[in-house]
Amino acid sequence: MTTTTLRPTTLRRGRTLGDLLFSIGLGTFIVLVLFATLYPIYFVMIASVSDPTLVATGKVWVIPQGLSTFGYEQILADPRIWTGYRNTLLYTVVGTTLNLVVTLPAAYALSRREFAPRKFLMFFFAFTMFFSGGLIPIYLLYRDLNLLDNWLVFVIPSALNVYNLIIARAFFENSLPEELFEAATLDGVGYLQFFWRMAIPLSKAIIAVIGLYYLVQHWNDFFTGLIFVRDYEKQPLQIVLRDILLSNQAFAGGAGGAGGSGGGAYAQQFADQIKYGVIIVSTLPVLLFYPFVQKYFEKGVMVGSVKG
Amino acid sequence: MAQIRDGAGRKVGGVVALTLDETAAKVPGSPVVGPMTKGRRRRAVSRHLRTRWQLWLMVAPAVAVTLVFAYFPMYGIQLAFREFDFTAGLTGGEWVGMKYFNQFFTSPLFWDLMRNTVAISLTTLVVGFIAPIVLALAVNQVVGLRRKRFTQTATYLPHFISIVVVVGMLQVFLSPTTGVIPNFLSFFGVTDTNYLGDPDAFVPVYVISEVWQHCGWNSIIYLAALSSIDTHLYEAARVDGASRPQIIRHIDLPALIPTMVVLFILNMGGVLNAGFEKVFLMQNPLNLSASEVISTYAYKIGILQSQFSYATAIGLFNTVINFAFLVLTNQLAKKFANTSLW
Amino acid sequence: MARSIRPAWAPTPGPRPARRALTSTVAFAAASTLLLASCSSGGDDASDDGADGSGGGEELNILVVKHPLTKKMSEMAWVAEIEEAADVSIKWEEVTADWDQKKSTMLAAGDTPDLIIGANAITDSDLATFRTLFEDLSDDMDALPNVQAMFDEVDGAEAMASQADGTVYALPSWKEFWPQAITRQYINQQWLDNLGLAMPTNWDELFDVLVAFKEQDANGNGDPNDEIPFDWSPVGTTGYGYFQPTALLGSLGLPITGGGGTGYFVEDGEVGNFLADERWKEVLTFLNRAYAAGLVNQNVITQDYSAYQSVARGSGDTASVGFSWGWTASDRFGAQLAPQYTSMAPVPAEAGQDAPLTWSYDFENLTANHIVVSAQTKAKAAALRLVNAFYDQDTSVQVLFGDFGTNVTKVDDNTYEVLPPADGESDPSTWKWTSTLADAGPLWIREGIDLTLPTDLAEAVEQSIPLEEAVANVDPETDVLPPFLKMSTEDLSTISLNNSTILNLTQTKFAEFVTAGGIEDGWDDYVAQLESAGLPQNVELYQKYYDEFSG
Repeated sequence: MTTTTLRPTTLRRGRTLGDLLFSIGLGTFIVLVLFATLYPIYFVMIASVSDPTLVATGKVWVIPQGLSTFGYEQILADPRIWTGYRNTLLYTVVGTTLNLVVTLPAAYALSRREFAPRKFLMFFFAFTMFFSGGLIPIYLLYRDLNLLDNWLVFVIPSALNVYNLIIARAFFENSLPEELFEAATLDGVGYLQFFWRMAIPLSKAIIAVIGLYYLVQHWNDFFTGLIFVRDYEKQPLQIVLRDILLSNQAFAGGAGGAGGSGGGAYAQQFADQIKYGVIIVSTLPVLLFYPFVQKYFEKGVMVGSVKG
Repeated sequence: MAQIRDGAGRKVGGVVALTLDETAAKVPGSPVVGPMTKGRRRRAVSRHLRTRWQLWLMVAPAVAVTLVFAYFPMYGIQLAFREFDFTAGLTGGEWVGMKYFNQFFTSPLFWDLMRNTVAISLTTLVVGFIAPIVLALAVNQVVGLRRKRFTQTATYLPHFISIVVVVGMLQVFLSPTTGVIPNFLSFFGVTDTNYLGDPDAFVPVYVISEVWQHCGWNSIIYLAALSSIDTHLYEAARVDGASRPQIIRHIDLPALIPTMVVLFILNMGGVLNAGFEKVFLMQNPLNLSASEVISTYAYKIGILQSQFSYATAIGLFNTVINFAFLVLTNQLAKKFANTSLW
Repeated sequence: MARSIRPAWAPTPGPRPARRALTSTVAFAAASTLLLASCSSGGDDASDDGADGSGGGEELNILVVKHPLTKKMSEMAWVAEIEEAADVSIKWEEVTADWDQKKSTMLAAGDTPDLIIGANAITDSDLATFRTLFEDLSDDMDALPNVQAMFDEVDGAEAMASQADGTVYALPSWKEFWPQAITRQYINQQWLDNLGLAMPTNWDELFDVLVAFKEQDANGNGDPNDEIPFDWSPVGTTGYGYFQPTALLGSLGLPITGGGGTGYFVEDGEVGNFLADERWKEVLTFLNRAYAAGLVNQNVITQDYSAYQSVARGSGDTASVGFSWGWTASDRFGAQLAPQYTSMAPVPAEAGQDAPLTWSYDFENLTANHIVVSAQTKAKAAALRLVNAFYDQDTSVQVLFGDFGTNVTKVDDNTYEVLPPADGESDPSTWKWTSTLADAGPLWIREGIDLTLPTDLAEAVEQSIPLEEAVANVDPETDVLPPFLKMSTEDLSTISLNNSTILNLTQTKFAEFVTAGGIEDGWDDYVAQLESAGLPQNVELYQKYYDEFSG
């Protein structure tokens, strides 16, 4: 299993039977977790290329049945999807950058215990996680600010996520050694400079996490486009994919619907396949990005820095 | 104070003032807390700005965004206390006070909704809080960079599957006739299992699938915290002959506590939130007695039937309860764990 | 997991800033409206100037709610024709998904385009709340001769369009040739033949046939256990719809509309709710008997619609479902299996019963609220010209079936032939929905024209024949509760408040009664609960409005 039991160094150091058992237990646990997570994912993958009727009747478990790439063909043949990708990419890159620029300095400032208003400010921010005026006042506000049908609506209003702010603040508070700051101030370094020169380089892990959270938030943002954008050329990927999905789902509410009799038995039959395909198509880019973030979670980032 | 600042310059003032501010807060009658004249207050403010302007500069964008996009539209909340009257405008509808709140409280479904909502959200909260911690600790113990990366990536994948599909998969996996899980259980003599239709099974199915989907993703933050532990600590512990469980217990776990506390407080702010979309999709006439929650009810009556005021009132009630729990937990955490949001 | 800490208007409460690849359905985003929903002063767009230049060539902003399959409006040839005919240029806003969510925000913010087109895109309940946003067309009929003609010639069209006070905000569509019922009843004739069984003529015989389907190898594939004798469309938690066992109420002569909905019906001018009716009890008893005998799909309560559809497609030539409901046989069972099935009339519950058979009245040929004009439009005359152009005979045919030439051949002034799909691969209904607004459009297909129907519709019409007798037993004057009763906002709110309590109970009980039984013992208690939940009050309100409507 994936444990240290077999490593000579560990054995040489006289690991006990207890450690051996621990390793076996850990290995078993990890394998079970992996199976539980990966099997359903694998299922989505094979379902996206199998005959949907066989999937729905529970005949597809291990090997794809009735191979068909109809789903992917439908998805990738749609010219709108490339516009969607382009837009989403823009919103994600610009949005995430702006997010970090707004969130990180604020989180750092709020982590400074000598910053007297910080308690009030934290409450000020936390309050907005719960209370909101509702969609219509927001809609009117965006209209007055000229954000409707404007791509900036994807990046500016969501520039700060309070949840991420809180996480980042907690990290700065707990992981940046106070001695470092004291030493720096003796050298005549101000907050801004310290933040830029010391705090940022030492906080790669949290920046990676927050950045990832923001990135995925933008990537999956579907609601903004839905409500505030009417120009299809500006719609993000998720809206496009949803339309493709729906155009094949036809009328899952019943052939009745308001006059919706018809709608395409043929297309409808493949609705599920497209549903699975859409997951793969929309998720893949984010998955490919993950390894770049992941390396910041590994040990050694902090080695060399002073730790309290 | 003045002396120190003059002597060492503004930048030192930052550090020193920390001590002074905090002392001042604790010593009764100190100049800062005691009754101040206008002039003294003004001087205190200008001193604060002089020493802290950089911090203000750093929070300024966040404050601005929040003021404009979160606080400004809050005038909409009053709709919960007004009749929704389109022609009169949002603030023009007749003031009806607590009418819609009373309507909700006296609804025959009120207690059922509360019970179901709390059952779902509390279970999710507890299990969903613990699971990522356990997973992060376990993944952290995996030796070998590639194995570790693989495990991590694998466990966070399900996060990206849409809820519609997750519920669709539940239907495929749990189908009483063809589902792999009932078939598997029938080997052990467990038969007649309709997990999707049994009200008693609703909460477990909901929570387990929730953990399955988000546990890996939610463990990311803990892994980041673990990554910031100084490796010297591990070496020292090994030299002292500590076993791996002991290392987890005495090094890893304590390192996670600050993050845990913060997340726990935040989670408590969701005590009345049962994920609307998933609950709604998992609902069927068989499990409705366990699956009708506040948000699905508000959706069915408020949104589908255009009862805007009623929906706003229900939402506000939900929010206030959540917020109360957040504040309470925050106070408790401040007292017992010495960590708090504000 | 950790939950919702996002602003209440964000899509779905999620612990982390982000959540899933795709949100689900229309409805669900709307849930985010939980805390939200409010409105602005309707007068924000102070633009009602009354002075509309009628010089022609005005630009109109039109929001169209169309099927996601439908191609761009600008690619339809009839759009150019209609622009020319009405002397306007159109800027389209095309909505294909989540209209409900978009709509509530848009209306409450008072932000409407010049016209809104779509099947029930603006509903009666929207009109009750937001009617000041829309133009009352009742005094503009001079400018709408085609619409006036439709009101004159089509029974019920004007009633459907008119509010209680005589105002007209939204116009309906009439499709002659359409079956008015959406649900048809199917049995696998090949299975009957394989097993040497006769077509059942009452519930007991139906039961025996289903038992035979179950116990024998009806589909002849060697496995006697893979047949599902009886299946129906998943019953939701907010009411009943098409292809559901409410269809069996027809066996007892109870006239429902629209598949059942929230249960209200009218019989000889008397409003009732079948959910508390003895005849519903009989249906439930029959369903339970079938379920207990293992004749019903064991997933029937928990499956979703796509599973329901997939299962019935069987595999290859092997059918898997014996008796069920659907729109057409090919739609329900797939083209390959469709020939095995035959559509059948409702069977009487008991041989020789007195009660006449009935069938759900679905108003599928007369549909409400297809087009509205904004009260704020700067070009009212142009908007009216356009509305009128839609109800033109040639335009209506093209709006419904697609362009002349590619989708329809116009043989002569009164004769049209709908062409088969040009791409050879798709079926007629997919083709129609791809090519044009189809059933979503405002249109009037006149009674007198000679129209060769596409095969799918011809199939629906043909398979409706067995239902004719039952349909004829329903007197539209006294046995049909019109879905377009116009109620006051206050009464609507009372009704929906009560309904949410009532349906919470009835839908749970439905599942329980069918799967676990206990109907005999539980019925009285169940009815008593319904009464305390406000059912009599709702029935009374419905009666009041029904009387106003018919009186």
